[in-house]
Amino acid sequence: MFACLHVPDFPVQAALLPETQDAREGLRQSPIAVFDGPASLPKIIALNGPARHMGIEAGMTRLQVETCGGVLLRKRSEADENFAQAELLECANAFSPTVESTCSGTVILDLAGTEKLFGALEDTAQKLAESAMERGFHAHVAVASNPDTAFYAALASAGITLIPAGDEADRLARLRISLLPITPDMLETLESWGIRTFQSLAALPEAPLTERLGQDGLYLQRLARGQIMRPLVPSGESPHFVETHEFDDPVETLESLSFIVNRLLQQACSRLTAHALSTNELRLILNLDVRQVRAGKDGEEYKHEWKLPVPTQDRSVLFTLVRLDLEKQTFSAPVKKVTVEVVPAKPRAIQGNLFAPPSPEAEQLEITLARIRGVVGSSDEDGLSRVGSPELVDTHQPDSFRVRPFSSSASTNSATVVPAIALRVFRPAQETSVERTGEAPHLVRLGRKYRRVLAASGPWCSSGNWWKETWVREEWDVALKTTAGIGFYRIYLDRLRDRWFVEGIFD
Amino acid sequence: MGAALLKAQIEQHIPSAFAVHQRKGDGNIPTGIAEIDNAVRGVPLRALTEICGSDLASSGKTSLLVSLLAQASQDRFCALVDASDAFDPETGRTAGINPSRLLWVRCGKSKAKLRPLEQAFKVADILLQSSGFGLIAVDLSGIAERVVRRIPLSSWFRFSRVIEKQAAALVFIEQEPHATSCAGLVLRISTEPKVFSGNLLTQLNLEVEVMRSWGKKPVRSERSEFCLPTQWA
Repeated sequence: MFACLHVPDFPVQAALLPETQDAREGLRQSPIAVFDGPASLPKIIALNGPARHMGIEAGMTRLQVETCGGVLLRKRSEADENFAQAELLECANAFSPTVESTCSGTVILDLAGTEKLFGALEDTAQKLAESAMERGFHAHVAVASNPDTAFYAALASAGITLIPAGDEADRLARLRISLLPITPDMLETLESWGIRTFQSLAALPEAPLTERLGQDGLYLQRLARGQIMRPLVPSGESPHFVETHEFDDPVETLESLSFIVNRLLQQACSRLTAHALSTNELRLILNLDVRQVRAGKDGEEYKHEWKLPVPTQDRSVLFTLVRLDLEKQTFSAPVKKVTVEVVPAKPRAIQGNLFAPPSPEAEQLEITLARIRGVVGSSDEDGLSRVGSPELVDTHQPDSFRVRPFSSSASTNSATVVPAIALRVFRPAQETSVERTGEAPHLVRLGRKYRRVLAASGPWCSSGNWWKETWVREEWDVALKTTAGIGFYRIYLDRLRDRWFVEGIFD
Repeated sequence: MGAALLKAQIEQHIPSAFAVHQRKGDGNIPTGIAEIDNAVRGVPLRALTEICGSDLASSGKTSLLVSLLAQASQDRFCALVDASDAFDPETGRTAGINPSRLLWVRCGKSKAKLRPLEQAFKVADILLQSSGFGLIAVDLSGIAERVVRRIPLSSWFRFSRVIEKQAAALVFIEQEPHATSCAGLVLRISTEPKVFSGNLLTQLNLEVEVMRSWGKKPVRSERSEFCLPTQWA
């Protein structure tokens, strides 16, 4: 058996979905119309029952409806409709693994084998309607032995409709043939024959119908009889966790933006939880309301991406990361659209090691690192990260290193601990002046004062990177007499620039 | 009325009036230098430690810090807040630091336009709030002494109170001690003059003075000498 979940006036119900439940129920009693089209002549594309009672019809212009007064007008939002369709699919996915997204506002699900989980078909249909209601939809539910019969029954009948096998033709009899996927020419032909309902189409003899309308005519007749049995085309693509909100008026304050971002993240995390997934990658896109748009560019946008070391479903962690980043940013224009995308990943299923050293909590670590980056910055002048774990580069060039992201899942170290004299590096190296006696340095300037060299070890010559940024240096380790005692410094002569530098102190 | 009687009467009404705050002794992190570990059993957990030494002359304070990080990173996660961005990763590797367990925070120019000292203190604060690090080292030795001296005592006191509640060690590397009684351990380290062997620097002879230690009372300075080889010796 197959069930069809159909949301009537889908654009209207989708437009109300972002509202709170109480506000939504209140608005349903009011006349609402959704308009779309060019700004010069927007037309009504969908409306609810109270609006129909006022005499408003689809196709009327916005101006005509406004003259009626008392009708709440909403602009059609593709993002809202996509979100509503995703919600509808999720609702159906909770009942069956095979769900087809038939069209906007309609899904069909295969109920075969679900009796043990949800009980009789009546109960399943009731639960499906209740689940849709919890998600904010007033939906029609129809259950039939084939998908198309369930589809047309749900399209035409409000509430819950159950069609037993064999009764399809009788239950669909009164529907108008305009509901069928029929071409305008064929519709005109059938109407000229006086065929206006499913019943009259189903009663026509098959052979003469095929002679006149071909296989398409026969297919339509079988649809009207409820005899077409086709497999469902499941929405096999992996769920896309993108949430978008477009502001009616562009926002400038962080509070307004944060409120919406928080809501979008909440929605994304709820969907992740429903799919038993987590995320380890978060993307934020802010479209700015730039007045003077450059040629070929549709405004400016701000993008940021976070890659988390461990997957999470925790909305507060994601929101804190976004908030910390937004606090640092200044935008040239107000924000008109927010898009949040979370990349699904399998949840972390790992048991803590009793013998592992205590480590920073993985979820909170990202927030800690983001806070630290907020204080010291993300990277230095050379593009090296300011926060992370040090990593040596495979080169002989002195002071070459990388800073890779810090993770709380660190590996153990097999290196032996050997106390040794450490070098304190001056970054960047301090330029200095050196006086030599023969080859060895005799006086070295530290700050403003010249210091006498007590002993010197060198020169240690090195060069490299001739294919890129060549370096050639002559290195000396010198003992300098200072007011505080003896300082052991490393100095070097940059032979390419013929200038002396103090690289660091042995401390 | 005797003092003992008076004390007993007061304690009847206010039991904690004469109670002495007992600090939790919760272990130490060895420094990896036997002489220091023998003298003070390493750097105490749940306490603030100051390691002091001259900035102009070689004192050995950075070597002690690197050795401490190498020891601690074997079984703990460590954080190094580098106010003057002076840590040398090559030295760290030679000393045996596990780089994957070291969070290195390099202070410097940032959009927030904070001075390195302010950055270092803010980062230390953030790290203290997020538990999980067994050793938090803040290297202030590149900051001018007159600037560090202006840090109010309340900041040191706050750090000392926060670290008391965590099974971690908080170590400051400075030119002079500033935390006074807030510090659980204060070490001053300096070098002996004779260092060169032939034409090559092979080792430094160091002297460490224990200026303050909660572990040993009454407090008095203790000195011990040792030598550290250079990386190529």
